[in-house]
Amino acid sequence: MAQDRGMDRAKAIYQDRSQRAGELKAQGKQVIGYLCAYPVLEMMTALDLVPFRILGDMTEPISRADACLPTVVCPFIRSALDLALKDRYQFLDGVVMAHSCDVAEKTAHIWHSYLRPPYFHFIDTPHTTGDSAVKQHKRLLKDFQKTLEQLAGRQLSQERLKEAVKAHNQQRALVRELYGLRKPDPPLISGVESLEVMVSLMSLPVDEGSRLLKQVITEVRQRNSGPPKKPARLLIWGSIIDNSSLIQMIEGLSANLVMDDTCVGSRFYWPDVAATEDPLDGLAHRYLVALKCPRTFRQADPNKASKDYQADLEYRFGYLMEYAKEWRVNGVILQSLRYCDIHGYEVPQVKDYLNSLGLPAIYLEYDYSQAALAPLRTRVQAFLEIIGQGNF
Amino acid sequence: MVNWWQGDPILKAMDVATVYPEDYGAVCAAFGAAQAYLEGAEADGFPAHMCGYARNCLGYTARMIELGEIPPEAPMGGMPQPSLLLASGALCDARYKWFQALGRYLDAPLWVLELPHPGVKEGLMEGAGEGNIYFIAQQLREFISFLEKLLGRRMDWGRLDETVDSTMEMNRWWHRANELRRARPCPMHSRDFWSSMPASLYMANDPGETAGLYRQMYDEIKSRVDNKIGALKAPERYRLAFLELPPWHSLDFFNQLAERGWNFVIESWAYHPPRPLDLDRVSDPLERLARYSYHWLTGYYPKANQAEEWWGYFAYPYLEYVRDYQCDGVVLHPLLSCRTATNHLMMVRDRLMKKLKVPSLVIEGDIVDLKLFDPARALSQAEAFEETMDHYKKLRKEAGLGW
Repeated sequence: MAQDRGMDRAKAIYQDRSQRAGELKAQGKQVIGYLCAYPVLEMMTALDLVPFRILGDMTEPISRADACLPTVVCPFIRSALDLALKDRYQFLDGVVMAHSCDVAEKTAHIWHSYLRPPYFHFIDTPHTTGDSAVKQHKRLLKDFQKTLEQLAGRQLSQERLKEAVKAHNQQRALVRELYGLRKPDPPLISGVESLEVMVSLMSLPVDEGSRLLKQVITEVRQRNSGPPKKPARLLIWGSIIDNSSLIQMIEGLSANLVMDDTCVGSRFYWPDVAATEDPLDGLAHRYLVALKCPRTFRQADPNKASKDYQADLEYRFGYLMEYAKEWRVNGVILQSLRYCDIHGYEVPQVKDYLNSLGLPAIYLEYDYSQAALAPLRTRVQAFLEIIGQGNF
Repeated sequence: MVNWWQGDPILKAMDVATVYPEDYGAVCAAFGAAQAYLEGAEADGFPAHMCGYARNCLGYTARMIELGEIPPEAPMGGMPQPSLLLASGALCDARYKWFQALGRYLDAPLWVLELPHPGVKEGLMEGAGEGNIYFIAQQLREFISFLEKLLGRRMDWGRLDETVDSTMEMNRWWHRANELRRARPCPMHSRDFWSSMPASLYMANDPGETAGLYRQMYDEIKSRVDNKIGALKAPERYRLAFLELPPWHSLDFFNQLAERGWNFVIESWAYHPPRPLDLDRVSDPLERLARYSYHWLTGYYPKANQAEEWWGYFAYPYLEYVRDYQCDGVVLHPLLSCRTATNHLMMVRDRLMKKLKVPSLVIEGDIVDLKLFDPARALSQAEAFEETMDHYKKLRKEAGLGW
């Protein structure tokens, strides 16, 4: 059966995310929705709760959310809230949100007020990464643990939490392995397929997701129908991409999208949780310090009397050079949803860094609608021509 | 950068002069000088939907660096090159992302202060408030240690103690002055609030001196209340709240509404001082600062919790403001370049209507970018809104709401 094949199953889940969640609920599982990359998944998994990533839907016009969230904020978050107001997340037994960005933080209170889920918790993730901020984060995770325990009706033991950390780290390792299959030229798996797998993982319990990943990796290694070789090998950076339309548009041109730095992609899965005696220490550090989203303030040396801009760029974006080398990237697409402040401020600085590496980059801004993609196609095409001619 | 009294008293106690670029953004907007700086920031790749204050500052700074001096056209003498950037994690992402982006132009070190923003329920969990206050105080200690290294001198803790006390004294008088605005007719209009507010929030002067000025203001307003003198020349027909920041470039708009008897009696929660807090028994000045700033953000949480309102700052306080100041209507000013001052407006509109039967008028604009505000259209919307306010006044009376 086609549905038994990993890639097909991932695609099916991508297209209908709630179906499996409904089955799990019928088996007596509690499904907890979470927004963005900062709610700590391991703590939910350890209590046998199923974390389910809250995403938007680019194909669904926003009609209900405007009554409680203005139009000049992140269209992805408006879309997610809109879906919830239309009962598309009615199956959730609870919701966890974090201070992942300003709008997400404020939407958390709006969500709590309007949707009144049976369980709701907000983690006020700090913005800085010093020792006191990590300790504060750990304290906040202890509060999160308390409310989760109340929901689950049982205590969370350190052993269970350590097991959950191992399970999620194993999944992260598998994701990195899958991404490794995009290193050859041509890559063995396309950007569109990769995104579909990521979205499906975020809709499944961790062990089930890992089994799916293993199946996908095996299939991709064995198949002969991967993407064709193309002159441009691109990295895409920026705000959330949870719909494959943008990537499809890019890969429909003379480019393979071989690496990403977005939060339904490598940014979400790259860093592991360190094994620590108290697992909350490893979790507090991973989700605040190791996770690299522009929402967190980081700088090369906070104690210096003057700032070295280039050193700061290296510190903040050096991992992009590693990606570019390992995935043999020859161009970068910087993209951001309109009204995304945390990425917007970052754009000129990432560009400065990429310029210093001699990597050409283009910035695309869109409003989380498929209609917005058509004009971007021409710009991407022109960018690919520049890469093709080596005029950079 | 404004930081709600976390870092300013520390800078003052260490003789560091402060300049506030968001305040200067309002100045540039009011002088009509902002447009060129906004365009400069856009030319450097900063998207046009981002904070008007930030883009003004980025464009201004780029020009200052290009010229090697303060731009000659800069209003009020411009801003000098800073030797330290102090950012804040309070309320919005722009507050630290913008200063970080200034690293493209300036080699000044950057420090970011944190202010926890718990949810209502989470903030009221056992130990949560004390934990957050400890974190703020700890961060302030780290900041002082950095400042001491940067400046090569030690903190004068006695002086800090006095500065913290005068900061709270300053805000106590400012709060009391605003409390008087509940009177009918309201003795002070929002325009006066906007011109008086910077002394409290943007602490450019000695807070002790400022406390004296606010006390004088209190006396003046009290005398107006005692003599039933309103802020308007025309009779007070409507009492309104204004949310959030005004169109600094088009303040004449308020004068036109004042002629129609519209008195703006209360405004943005974020720019009001906290309700007074007794901290006499707290001897550590950093702990006093931490408690004070945290109280500003979370002081309404217990009542919000009782009312089952889950946005305890920015949204819930307006339910109290509008009721206590007996507003007939609210003007919401969504800012096309400021998410933070805009996110809550639709929810506030909804809550005020459902709970208090007070209608809102939405007028879109911006704090700096005058292209985004249409005063003629806004005025015609306002005229039509009078009927709505009259209608809901009747409904409130029928519902026994008291005004």
